[in-house]
Amino acid sequence: MTTHTLELKNLTKRMKNKTIVDDLSFSVREGEIFGLLGPNGAGKTTTIRMIVGLISITDGDVLINGDNIRGNYEKAMERVGAIVENPQLYDYMSGYKNLMQYARIMPDVTKERIDEVIELVDLKYAIHDKVKTYSLGMRQRLGVAQALLHKPNVLILDEPTNGLDPQGIYDLRNYLRLLANNGTSVVVSSHMLAEMQMMCDRVAIIQHGKLVRIDEITNQEDEADVKVHFLIEGDISQAKQVIVKMNDGLAVTESGNELIVEASDVRFIAELNKQLVLAGVLVVGIQRKTKTLEERFLEMTRKGGDVSEVAVPVNE
Amino acid sequence: MKWLSLLTNEWIKIFSRVRTWIFLALPIIIIIGVAVYDKVTTDEEVNNNWKQELTQTTNDDKKALEEAKKNGDDAFYIEMLETNIKQNEYAIANNISPYETTTWQFMKDMAPISSLIGLFVIVVASDIVSSEFAKGTIKMLLIRPYSRWKILLSKFLATLGFAFVMWLVVIVATWLVGGLAYGFGGMDQSYLIVTEDQQVKERLIVEYVFANIGVEFIELTALVALSFMISTLFMSNSVAIGVAMFTLFAGNTIVMLLATKDWIVYTLFANMDLSVLIDGQNQLIKDLTLPFSISVLAVYTAVMLAITFTVFQKRDVKA
Repeated sequence: MTTHTLELKNLTKRMKNKTIVDDLSFSVREGEIFGLLGPNGAGKTTTIRMIVGLISITDGDVLINGDNIRGNYEKAMERVGAIVENPQLYDYMSGYKNLMQYARIMPDVTKERIDEVIELVDLKYAIHDKVKTYSLGMRQRLGVAQALLHKPNVLILDEPTNGLDPQGIYDLRNYLRLLANNGTSVVVSSHMLAEMQMMCDRVAIIQHGKLVRIDEITNQEDEADVKVHFLIEGDISQAKQVIVKMNDGLAVTESGNELIVEASDVRFIAELNKQLVLAGVLVVGIQRKTKTLEERFLEMTRKGGDVSEVAVPVNE
Repeated sequence: MKWLSLLTNEWIKIFSRVRTWIFLALPIIIIIGVAVYDKVTTDEEVNNNWKQELTQTTNDDKKALEEAKKNGDDAFYIEMLETNIKQNEYAIANNISPYETTTWQFMKDMAPISSLIGLFVIVVASDIVSSEFAKGTIKMLLIRPYSRWKILLSKFLATLGFAFVMWLVVIVATWLVGGLAYGFGGMDQSYLIVTEDQQVKERLIVEYVFANIGVEFIELTALVALSFMISTLFMSNSVAIGVAMFTLFAGNTIVMLLATKDWIVYTLFANMDLSVLIDGQNQLIKDLTLPFSISVLAVYTAVMLAITFTVFQKRDVKA
C-alpha cells in the first residue's frame, strides 16, 4: 500500500467572493516528486501557503503525515520543510547564523547535521559571510539548506528554480531526486513546463484554482499519445493506402510528406516499415514522437493551439 | 523547552543589529559627557557659598513673583515660583544644600534620560514584527511547528527584555559614572518637595531614584505594548516606526493642549509620564495619582496586546 504523506481534501480559498483555490484534492505519495503546474495566478502559491499555514483555509483540510493542520498545526509541521517563493533571509547575519535560527527551533538538529547540510548545498566557503553579500543563487541554496535541516519527509518548494543558473537547476534536480529516493515527498510548483517534466514523477495541472488533471510522468510515455512519423519520398497517398490496406482499423493521417501512424510498439513499427518498403515506397526517415507535457498542458488550459510535437528517442 | 529557543532567536536578532549597540552606547556616552561637563564647569566657590547664592535666587524669584502677579501671568508659572521660594527658604533654614552632588543626586538629575531610552525602545519594538513582514522573513518563521501566538509572544518578551536590560544598563552606568565623579556616598541625602497643602517636606533622594527606576519599568512596558501593536498592524517597518513616533509625539501634544478636560485622565498619553507623579510636583494634570495612572496603563496594555495577538493570529501572510 502506498503511504500518502500529504493529502489535500477539498481545499478551498475564497477572498472577497473570489474563489482562488476551488475544491482542490490530491495526495502525494511517500518518495515522489509531485509538481503543481499552472499559469501565473492559477492558485499554486495560494495552495502552498495554505498547506504550510501562512494563509487561512476557507474550506477543506490539509493532512500532513496524517495530522490535520487545522487542528494540530504544531504536530503536522514538525516534519515539513519549505521555501515559499524566494527564501528570505536575515541579511544582517551570516549564513551560519541564519541556519542556527532554524536549527535551534526545530527538533533534533545536531551540529553535525548543520555541517552536513552546508556541505550538501556547497556553501561552506561563504557560510560565515553576511547574507547581504550573497548572490541570488547562494541565497537560494541557503534557503534549501534551512528547509532540509531537520530532515523533513515533506519538502515543499515554491518556484524553486527561480534565480538559479542552469548548473544550480541541474544540481537541485539531482538532489531532489536523491531525497525522493530516500523516501522524502517533494512538492514543487512552477509555471515552467519543461522543468516540471524533467523534475517530477507526477504533475497536477491547475487552472483557475481547479485541478485539471494529474499526469504521471514516466520514461515510457503514455502509449496512446505516441505516434510514428514516416517520412516518405514520392506519392504519399499511395503509401497511406498500403498501410490502411494491410492494417485494418489503424489510424493513419497524412501531413506534408509525412505519414503519421498511432503506434508505439517497436516491433510493430518495424513491421509497418517492412510493409512500406516491400510495396515499393521510399521511406527516408522514421521518427517516434510523443506529446509532451507542455502540449497536454496547453491543450488542457486551452491556451495554445496546434503545437508541433517534440521528438523523443526510441529507446526500448 | 524548545519554545525558549524562539526567545533566544529573537534576542540574537536584536543584538545582531549594529543599531542596538549604538542605542546602548549613546546614553552611556551622554552620561559620561554630562558628568565631565559638570565637573569642568562647576564653580566650587559657588558650591561653598551656596547659602548666599540661594538667597540671591530667592530674592530674584520674589521679584519675579510680584511682577507676575501684577501682570496676571499664568497660574502655573506663579505656582512654580512660589514653590521654588518655599523650597529655597526651607533649604537655607535647615542647611540642606541643593548643590551637593553625590551619585544619587546625579542619578536623580539624569532621570530624564529615560525618554531617550523610550525612543530607542520604540524603534526596536515597532521594527521587530514589521521588518519581518517587510523583508519576507516572517514566512520562514511561521512555517515552523509553533503556533503563531507563541512566535508573537517570543517577540514581545524579547523586546520587553531588551527595554528592561537597556534601562538597567543605563541605571548602573549612571550610578558608576556618578560615583566616580562625585563619590558613592549620599544614601542619606535629602531633597525638598512642596506638598499639595503648601508644606515643605524632606525626602530621601535614594527613595526617589528607586521609585523612578520602578515606574520606568511600567512606562516601558506600556510603550513596548503600544509600539508592538503598531509593528504588527503595519507591514512596513519604516511606516511602523514613523507611526509609533508620531503617535507618541501627537499624543503628548494633545494631552498638553487638552490638559484641563476631565476625560483626559483616561487617555493613554496623559498617564505615560509616571515619574512626575512620584513627588506630585509641577504636575500638568492635577487629578492624576500614581496608582490611578498605573491602573490605566495596565488596562491599555492589556487591550493593546489583545488587539495585537488577535490581528496576528488571523492574518493571511502574503509577504
